[in-house]
Amino acid sequence: MKHRSFFWFFLPTATAMLLFIAFPIVSVLIQSVYAPHEQVIIEVENCGPFGCTATTTVDQEATRALREAQPMGRFVGLDIYFNRAHLAVSEIGALWTAAPDLGTFFSRLLGLPFYGALSFTLTYTFLVTPFSLMLGFVIALSVNALPRILRGPTIFFSLLPMIVTPLVGGLILFWMIDSRGVLGAFFQYLSGDPDLSVKASTPMMWVMLIVYGIWSSAPFAFVVYYAGLQTVPQDTLESAMIDGATRWQRIRYVMLPHLLPLTTFMALIKIMDNFRVFEPIISFQASAHAQSLSYFIYSDLGGETRLLSSAAATSVLTIIGIVILLSPVLVRTWRSFGKA
Amino acid sequence: MSTTVADRRPASLRLALGAFLVFWLILAAFPFLWTLWGSFKVEGDFFSRADWMNAVSGTLTEAETGAPFTGDGYYGAWVQEEFWRAGLNTVIVTVSVVVISLTFGTLGGYALSRSPYRYAFWLLIIALVFRAMPPITLVSGYLLPFFEWNLWGHLPTTIIVLVAINQPFTLWMLTSFFRNIPKDLDESAMVDGCSRFQAFRHVIIPVMWPGVITTGLFSFLLAYNDFAVTSMLLSRENLTMVPKIESFLGTTQTRGNVMFAVASVVSVTAPLFILVMFFQRQIVSGLTAGAVKG
Amino acid sequence: MADIQLQNLSKRWGTFVGVQTMNLHIADGEFLVLLGPSGCGKTTTMRMIAGLEDTTEGDILIGGARVNDLEPKDRDIAMVFQSYGLYPTMTVYENIRFPLKVRGIPQAEHHERVMRASATVELDDFLQRKPAALSGGQRQRVALARAIVRKPKVFLMDEPLSNLDAKLRVSTRAQIKNLHHELKTTTIYVTHDQIEAMTLADRVVVMNKGAVQQVGTPLDIYDRPANTFVAGFIGSPAMNLIEGRMTGGVFEADRVRIPGFGGIADGPVTLGFRAEDARIADTGEIAAPVYSMELLGDASMATVQAGGALVAIKAAKDFMAQIGQPIAAHVPADICHLFDAATGQRIERP
Repeated sequence: MKHRSFFWFFLPTATAMLLFIAFPIVSVLIQSVYAPHEQVIIEVENCGPFGCTATTTVDQEATRALREAQPMGRFVGLDIYFNRAHLAVSEIGALWTAAPDLGTFFSRLLGLPFYGALSFTLTYTFLVTPFSLMLGFVIALSVNALPRILRGPTIFFSLLPMIVTPLVGGLILFWMIDSRGVLGAFFQYLSGDPDLSVKASTPMMWVMLIVYGIWSSAPFAFVVYYAGLQTVPQDTLESAMIDGATRWQRIRYVMLPHLLPLTTFMALIKIMDNFRVFEPIISFQASAHAQSLSYFIYSDLGGETRLLSSAAATSVLTIIGIVILLSPVLVRTWRSFGKA
Repeated sequence: MSTTVADRRPASLRLALGAFLVFWLILAAFPFLWTLWGSFKVEGDFFSRADWMNAVSGTLTEAETGAPFTGDGYYGAWVQEEFWRAGLNTVIVTVSVVVISLTFGTLGGYALSRSPYRYAFWLLIIALVFRAMPPITLVSGYLLPFFEWNLWGHLPTTIIVLVAINQPFTLWMLTSFFRNIPKDLDESAMVDGCSRFQAFRHVIIPVMWPGVITTGLFSFLLAYNDFAVTSMLLSRENLTMVPKIESFLGTTQTRGNVMFAVASVVSVTAPLFILVMFFQRQIVSGLTAGAVKG
Repeated sequence: MADIQLQNLSKRWGTFVGVQTMNLHIADGEFLVLLGPSGCGKTTTMRMIAGLEDTTEGDILIGGARVNDLEPKDRDIAMVFQSYGLYPTMTVYENIRFPLKVRGIPQAEHHERVMRASATVELDDFLQRKPAALSGGQRQRVALARAIVRKPKVFLMDEPLSNLDAKLRVSTRAQIKNLHHELKTTTIYVTHDQIEAMTLADRVVVMNKGAVQQVGTPLDIYDRPANTFVAGFIGSPAMNLIEGRMTGGVFEADRVRIPGFGGIADGPVTLGFRAEDARIADTGEIAAPVYSMELLGDASMATVQAGGALVAIKAAKDFMAQIGQPIAAHVPADICHLFDAATGQRIERP
C-alpha cells in the first residue's frame, strides 16, 4: 500500500489514539509535576469597639484569579513523586534507621500506601497469571476428553466467569462470601467459628481476591489451550504413542512444547490485564485490606477532593511499572526485528 | 475422530477428569444461578443470618410478601431508582462505541495488513503498549482538560474515549483477520481499475463480516463491561448500568435496598448470557485467533 | 521378528465401509506393500495394525498373539509417517533417542544405539540440529532412524516418500530397500505410487474401496491383473481397456477386430493390452486416426480413438504422425487380457 493511501486509511484510528491515549499520557506527566495552587491568604484587621484583631481569611477573588491565570497549578518538580503518598523517600529513610530488622522494615514499608498497593498488585499479578493458566490447561484437557456433544454446553458455562462484567462478577462472589451468604455460612461451618467473616481479615481478603482473579481468568486460558490442543500435530502425537510414550509423557514431550508459544502469549496478555486489577476491589469493598495501583488512582480521582496531581503521579509510576513488565517482550521484538 | 485403543483413557482417569470438570462447572455456573434465584427473594433470605437454606425456600420472602418469589428488587431498581435510564445510556454508549470502533478499526486494520513497510509493524507495537495501559491511568489524564473545556460528564465524551481505548485491540484483531484475506483479491480489483478505496469498498467489505462481527463482539464487551472510564467521566444522571450498580452500593446500603443491586446485577448479566449463547463460536474463535496463529 | 495375520478384519464408520473383511498373512521378514488410490482403506488397515484405529471386526495377530486390545506402544512396532511426526523441540539426537528414553531402556545403551541408527541412515553430521533446520529427505531419515533404533518386530511406513521431491524419492527408496535387506524386519508399506510398490515389495496388496483386489508379487500383478481395476491401476500408462463383443473367438469393437480367442464364450467382454506390447504396423487389428502424439524420450506414444476409448500404443521414437492421420496397430490375441464385462474379473484363457 502506498504511503498516501495508508495515511488516509489510518488517519481516524491514529487521531483517536493520539488524542485519547498518547495525549493523556503527556497530560498525566505534566499534571504530576504541578500541584494545585494554595489558597491566597490575606490578613485582615478587624477593628471594633474592643480594639483591632488580625484574622486571616481566604481571598476568594485573588485565588480565583490565580487559578485562572495558571490552570495547571504551581510547578513542584518531582516533589509529588517523593512525598508520603508515593515513593515516600524520606519516610523510607526514617524507617530504615528506626527498624530493628529487615522484617519489621518491610512490614512497615508495606504500610505506606503506595508500597502497599504495589505489593498487592504484584502479588495478584504473579499468582493469578500462572494459576489461571494452569487451571485453564487442566480444564482444556478434561474437555478434550469429553464426547463431542457435551463440549458445547461445557464451553458455554466455562465462558461465563470471563465474559461477565468484572464488577458484577466480583459482586456476585462477594455476596456469596458475605458472612450471611451461602459460601460465608459454609466457611463458618468448615472452620467451626460462627463469627468468621472473610471481610474482616486481610489475608482472607487477599485470598478471595486472588481466587476471584483465577476464577475470572481461567476461561480465557481454557479456550486458548483448548483450541491449541486441536492443532497438536496428529502425526507427532501418534509417533509418540508408538514410540512408547505414556499419556503423561505425551503431554510432557509433545503437547506442552507445542503449546509453549501460546502460553507466552497468554502470560503476556494476562500480566497486562492483572496488573490493572481494579473492579474486584470495589466489588469486595476490600480497600481497607488491599489496594491496587489502579484503585489507588481511582480513590484519588473520586470523592469530594479530586487529587489530580497525586493520581497523575501514581499513574506515571504505574505506566513505568507496565513498561518494566513488558520490557522483555519489547526488547525481544526489537532484537528479532533488527535481525530480520 | 473415533476413540481408539490408543486414546482410550483408563476408567480411573476418566472418572477423575469428569469429577474435576463437574467441580469446575459448578464453580463457573453456580454463582450465577444462585444470584438469579436469590434476586427474587427479600434481603433477609438472600443474606440469611439464620440459615442459608432460607434463600432456597424463601421463608422470609413468603412471610413478607406472601409468595415464595418477589419482583420487589427489580421494581425498586428499574422503576424506583430509574435503572432504565442507565440501561438506555448503556445502549447508546455500547452501540456508538461498537459502530465507531469498527469503522476506524477496519480502515486502520486493513491499511496495516496491506502495508509492506516497517512503520506498520511499529504502529502495531505502539498499539500493543497502548493496550497495556490501565484505563484508569488515562482517566487521570482526561479529567483536568475535560473540566477545563467543559467536556466532562457527557455521553459523547465517554463514547469517544472508549473508542480510543478500544482501538489497539481492534487494530490487532482486524489486522490479523485482514491478513487472512488474500491480497490477490484487492490487487486484482485494482488491476481491473479500482482505486485503493474502491477495492476496499467493493471487494473487501463484502467478505470481511465474519472477522468484523467477532471483533465487534469484543468491542461490545469492552464498552459494556467498562467501569473505570464510565464511573469517572459520566455525571450522575448520565451513568451507564455498571457504575450505576456501584452507586447503589454506596448510597442505598439500607435494609432491602441491597436487593436493588442484586436485581440490577442480574439484569446486567442477562444480556451477556444471551450474547454468549448466540455467539459462542465467534467468541471462542476471536479469543483464539490472535493466539493460535501466533 | 514376527509374522502378522489379519483375520476377517473390518472397519466401518457408521454405514461407511473403510476396510471390508480382510484376510492376509504376512510372513516373517516380508516386505509387503499396500497399494491403492486414496481412500481405498490401505492407511486404515495400517493404522489398525498399529493400534491407532480400533477394529470393527476381526483380529490382528502379531507373532501369533492377538493384539487388538493392546495399546500401540505395547505392540512392539515402529511407524514412519508421511509428514514424519518428528518432535519439533528436540534435536535429531533426542528425537532418535526418544523411544529408548520413554521405554526405560538403560541409559548406558542409549548413546551407542542412537549412533548406530544414525550411522545406518547417514545422519551423523546433523545430530545436534532441530528438525526445522533439516531438508525433507533428512527429516525422513530421522524418522527412519527413530524407527530402527528400538529394533521393533514390525515396521509400518505410511507413504513415507510422498512429501519428497522426485529425485530424493528415488534415492530414499533405494535406502529403504537396502535397510530392509540389512535388518530383515517384517515391513508393511503403504503407498499410492505403483513404482514404489513394484520396486520395494516382496508382495503387493492392491486395494480399492476397502476391499482387497489382488495379492501377489509385483510381476504377478503386472502380468496377470486379477480384474479391470488392477489392470487400470498398475503400469504407466495404465493398460488399455476396450469394451466390445466376443463372437466366435473374434473380439470386435469400433475400429477394433482381434481374432484368435478360441474357446471363449460369446458375449460382451472387456479386452485389455499394454501399450508397450502392441506395435505400429501398416495394417493391424486396430485401425484409427491419431488423437495425439507424445515424445517420451526413449520412445513415443501414439494415442488413437478406438472402441469408445483412448488407446495408447508405444512406437519408436522416430515415429511421426499428424493428428487425424489414420494409423494401424498390431495387437495379437496373445498379448491381450480378457475381463468379464459385468464383474470386471479376469477371464482365464484355455
